[in-house]
Amino acid sequence: MIAFEDVVVRFGATTALDGVSLQVGAGELCALVGPSGSGKTTLMRLVNRLVTPHAGRVLVRGEDIARTDAPALRRSIGYAMQSVGLFPHRTVAQNIGTVPRLLGWDRTRIARRVTELLGLLRLDAALADRLPGALSGGQAQRVGIARALAADPDILLMDEPFGAVDPITRRELRAELRRIHAETRKTILLVTHDPEEALELGTHVVVLRDGRIVADGPPAEIIGPGSDAFARDLLGGGQPALRRLSLLPATEALDATPPPPGAPELPEEASLADALSLMAETGQDRVALAGQDGSVAVATVLRPGA
Amino acid sequence: MRGLPPLLLAAALALLAAPFGARLLAQALGADAEPFPADRLAGLALTHAGLALAGVLPAALLGMGLGIAVTRRAGRGLRPAADAFAAAAQAVPPVVVVALAVPAFGFGLWPTAFALLLYGLMPVLRATVAGLESVPPDIRAAAVAIGLPPSRVLSEVEWPLAWPVVLDGLRIALVLGVATAAVGALAGATTLGTPIVLGLQNQNQVLVVQGAAATAALAFAAEGLLLMATGRRAGDAA
Repeated sequence: MIAFEDVVVRFGATTALDGVSLQVGAGELCALVGPSGSGKTTLMRLVNRLVTPHAGRVLVRGEDIARTDAPALRRSIGYAMQSVGLFPHRTVAQNIGTVPRLLGWDRTRIARRVTELLGLLRLDAALADRLPGALSGGQAQRVGIARALAADPDILLMDEPFGAVDPITRRELRAELRRIHAETRKTILLVTHDPEEALELGTHVVVLRDGRIVADGPPAEIIGPGSDAFARDLLGGGQPALRRLSLLPATEALDATPPPPGAPELPEEASLADALSLMAETGQDRVALAGQDGSVAVATVLRPGA
Repeated sequence: MRGLPPLLLAAALALLAAPFGARLLAQALGADAEPFPADRLAGLALTHAGLALAGVLPAALLGMGLGIAVTRRAGRGLRPAADAFAAAAQAVPPVVVVALAVPAFGFGLWPTAFALLLYGLMPVLRATVAGLESVPPDIRAAAVAIGLPPSRVLSEVEWPLAWPVVLDGLRIALVLGVATAAVGALAGATTLGTPIVLGLQNQNQVLVVQGAAATAALAFAAEGLLLMATGRRAGDAA
C-alpha cells in the first residue's frame, strides 16, 4: 500500500532520513517509534508530500507520488495530529465535513457522514453544532480523528494523535483506535514516542534511530530474542521478555493435557503474560483456558513457540 | 452593538455643526458671525464622504492585497520593501502630498484622493500582515495536511481568522481618511474643509468650528456604520 525506496531527506545540513526502505501492507497498523529526532515524523510526512525526499521514491497505492497533485493526494489520505488543528471558526460538523466538501459531496451526504462519524468516535450528536473551543481535549482529539476519516480514505496518517491528552483519555482513545482499525481495516501509519503504545496498537512496528530503520516487523518478533538491541531496549522497558509474553496469546502455549481439577481459568482473550500472572498468583503451574479443552503449562509459557 | 458609541458621538457633533448649534456657540463666545447654511453643509458632507471613499477604498484593496502577497511563500522577500513603502507613505503629511500632487493631477478631487490612498495604506497593510501572522501555525498546517489547496487555505482558514484584526486596520484607515479629506479644500476639492478654509480667511471662528465638527461627525459616523455592518456579518456567519 505504501512503499519507501531508499529515501533520503535532509533539512539544511542535518540528514533526517538516511536511505530508508520500508513496505507497509494494506490493512496494517504500522507504528513508527523512536526517540525524538529519529526521523519517524518525517517518514510519515513523506506519504502525503508534506516532506519531499532528496533521493529515493515514495509509492502510495503503487504510484510514485512525486507525479501526483499534492492537495489531491492529501485529500485521499486521512491526517490527524497531536495539536489537532481544528478550525476554530467552524463548528464540529463543518470541521469534520471539510474534505468531503472539497471533494464536492452534496450536503445531505456530508450530513449523513458526519452523524456516522460522531457515532463511530462515540461523540455526542449534540456536539455537531459546537465550536471547537467548547470541546474537552479528548473530544477535540476524537473530532480530529473523525475529520481525518471523513472522506473514508483507505490510508490514515496519525502523528502522535494521543500525545496531548491525559493518561485515562489516552487509554480510551487507544482502545478506540484499535476498534476502528479492526472495523474499517484501513492502512494506518501511527507515529508515537511511546513504546507501549507502539506495541499495543501496531500490527507492524518500525523502530527508527538517527534517520535509519533499526528494526521492522510484528511486535512480538521485534521485541523477541535476536532482534536489534536498541529496539529491544527501547520497546522492552528493561523487561523485553515479559513485554513479549504480553503480546502473545495464551493459545500459543496450549497443549492437549486436560486441566487438573480445580485449576484456575484464564479468559479466552488472555495473553501469555496473563497466564504467568495467574500462575504466580495462585501457585499453580498449569491453568485452564476458557473455551479450550487443553490447558496451559508454565514450562510452555516460558518457551512459546518452541 | 459596538457601532453605537461612535454613532452617538457623531450625532452630537452633527448638532454642533448645524447652524443653530453653531449660532449658540457663537453667542456663548460673544461673536456674531453668520453660520454656514445647513443645506450647503449637507452637500459638502456628501462630496467629502465620496472623496474619502475614493481614497480609502483603493488603500484598503491595495493594503489587503499587499498584506496577503507578502505573507505568501513566494512574496516573503517583498515584505521589507512593502513595509518601507507603507511607512514612507504614512510619514509624508497628506497636506504635502496634496500640494505635490496638484501639478500631476490638477486642482480638484484627485490630488486628495491620491494623498488619502497613501495615508491609508499603512494601517491596512500592517493589520493584514498582523492578522495573517496571528493565525496559529498548527491550524494552517492542519489545513494543508488534509488537502486544502493554497487558495482555500487562505480563503477558508487564514482570512476568516485574520479578519477581526484586518477590520481594525480598515477602521483606522477609514477614520483617518474621512478626517484627512478636509485638507482637499486647499487643492480645490469641495469638502467639509471648505468652511474651515473660508473661516480662516475671513476670521470667522464659527465656520471653522462648523467644518471641524462636521468632519469629525462624519468620521465617527463612518466608523459606527462600518462596525454595525461588519458586526452583523460576523453574527450571520456564526
